[in-house]
Amino acid sequence: MSPTTARAVRPALVRRVVACAAAAAVVVPVALFWNASRLPAQYSITQMGSVEPGSGPRLPGQLAHEAHGHGTAGGAGTISVANLVEDRSGPADVSVTLTARSERVELTPGVEIDAYTVNGTTPGPTLRATQGDLVEVTFVNESVPDGATLHWHGMDVPNSADGVAGVTQDAVPAGGTFTYRFVAEDAGTYWYHSHQVSHQQVRKGLLGAVVVEPAPAAPEVVGPEVAELLRDAVDVPAVVHQFGAHRTVQGATGDTAVEVAPGQAARVRVVNSDNGALPVWVSGAPFRLLAIDGTDVHAPTEVRDQAVLVPAGGRADLLVVAPDDGTAARVELGGSAAVVVGPADARGEPTRRPAVTLDPLDYGDPASLGLDPSAATRTFEYTIGRRPGFVDGHPGMQWTINGRTFPDVPMFLVREGDVVRMTIDNRSGEAHPMHLHGHHVVVLSRDGLAATGSPWWVDSLEVGQGERYEVAFVADNPGIWMDHCHNLPHATEGLVAHLMYEGTTTPYLLGKATVNQPE
Amino acid sequence: MRQVFRTLAYVIAVGVIFQAAVMVYAVAGLGIYIEEGGVVDAAAMEQAQAGQPMFPEEIGFMLHGMNGMMVMPVLALLLLIASFFSRVRGAWKWALGVLVLVALQIVLGLAGHSVSFLGALHGVNALILFSVALYTGWRVASRGRATREEPVGSSAGERLSS
Repeated sequence: MSPTTARAVRPALVRRVVACAAAAAVVVPVALFWNASRLPAQYSITQMGSVEPGSGPRLPGQLAHEAHGHGTAGGAGTISVANLVEDRSGPADVSVTLTARSERVELTPGVEIDAYTVNGTTPGPTLRATQGDLVEVTFVNESVPDGATLHWHGMDVPNSADGVAGVTQDAVPAGGTFTYRFVAEDAGTYWYHSHQVSHQQVRKGLLGAVVVEPAPAAPEVVGPEVAELLRDAVDVPAVVHQFGAHRTVQGATGDTAVEVAPGQAARVRVVNSDNGALPVWVSGAPFRLLAIDGTDVHAPTEVRDQAVLVPAGGRADLLVVAPDDGTAARVELGGSAAVVVGPADARGEPTRRPAVTLDPLDYGDPASLGLDPSAATRTFEYTIGRRPGFVDGHPGMQWTINGRTFPDVPMFLVREGDVVRMTIDNRSGEAHPMHLHGHHVVVLSRDGLAATGSPWWVDSLEVGQGERYEVAFVADNPGIWMDHCHNLPHATEGLVAHLMYEGTTTPYLLGKATVNQPE
Repeated sequence: MRQVFRTLAYVIAVGVIFQAAVMVYAVAGLGIYIEEGGVVDAAAMEQAQAGQPMFPEEIGFMLHGMNGMMVMPVLALLLLIASFFSRVRGAWKWALGVLVLVALQIVLGLAGHSVSFLGALHGVNALILFSVALYTGWRVASRGRATREEPVGSSAGERLSS
């Protein structure tokens, strides 16, 4: 080798090595992040995420988790979610069979869609019970290919009846059945939907309304005037669901007529079964917001020229009185469908969405919360953000909870009886309808502004970009409960955490190697 | 590798064209949908994100999001890696510039969902990214001769092996 050649070779070699090193500096971290994000073929939700004991006393589950890296919460004295069943035995007061089917449905003449039906329709039949009833639902999956479940959205059912595939049960395969038993503890408007491949099965209509009537009427809550109106009010479940360009109300497109005499009232139970917030307002009459997420508002005053924003998964009960002049009042559901309340031939004039949106923070009269937030035994932060990264090997801008992506998200560990305060802070650039299973939570403040109206109890809370809500609840329903975004595609992207009671385990598994895909 | 580098740079420029095209396609479809009496709100929009579009052009929004947040960053990373092997002087600086502009573009795009002015900058940055990507590819050809005049590694390598 001549000296000239050696001189030429060295820079070439150096250049090549530097190029390889630089490429490795780019590729290796990306590959490591990608690999680390991949989920195991099967895993238990109890092994997922990192324990957040909040500010309260340390719990045994936290110690077990710290000792083993992962593990079930608690050592001795554990209870399986499968054993967290309804205490009350005996025959059910309400007993129904709900059969899910994959079939074609005619939305409107000439428009057919592929849907999942319950007892042949979407939405399925409205399940009606009286407060305190023992409800038994036999769920039959006739032909939903991925398997299905029923989740009782907003109802504080025993954990084994919560219907989350891979957490509280296995998905019911086509041809299988599952029995849900629970007491309808709270009156109000709720809904049921599949919690297996839910982003797809809910979109295709595997859902329906649940109405729990109060045992006695409650004039002390709503006031004598409203109690009087309610006495002969027509009860109208209105499950709103969007199929492509078609907004449907109880499965029908366009206007839904509710025939009432002038001066008579209708209680319109709006259920938003979609993935984004639904604005609702009333044309041609004032209205009262009777209930939010099933819980009655104290002293619901008359509202004019305001819209109510119903979060994805949320409910709003509107009391509308047909005008005395024989015209109709229109409950506008986003402007593309309406419930028309009035005499048979009456039509109302549609109006645009009012500029003002009703703020439940100061609507109605304050009343006892039944819990003391200042005596909270545990406080949690649930901060939603967004950053580039991988979730299960998929690249993209990922949702984060407390700075970390799925599955490394918090497991909020509580002890039965805890009074929990949670701050939900949304810094992610998009709105998120946050839904906690198995519990009602009460809003304490938004952006530091304290709630001064009727106790604002929710299970589905719209947390807009930049908003910070403080909520409280009592940990009174042991089990493992999802605490996730009800914009269901966001949940598939990893905006899912869970609340876990100490000493709880689950025999069910999640992951590609199992039948269970709850989101 | 020079060709790979150059091609990737041009593909990124074409990617920006694609982004602009599908966006306007979707917005045009949205306009037609509304003119024909369609109504849009969050519930309807998000349902579309879940895979059930209200109008056929709505797929443009989805393509814009997927291409912009998944394909373009991957292409920009590949361009940076290719630049290390391209033996084009300054290539890595230009590739890094493209990568930074792609990252900025994603940030501006998402920020535009809450602050519309930043959405406007997303449009401006798109043209900057397009120009930089195009120039990054074009300068390879224009500087080809200058680079070949250097005692480049390939010829040295051939001499070494012979």
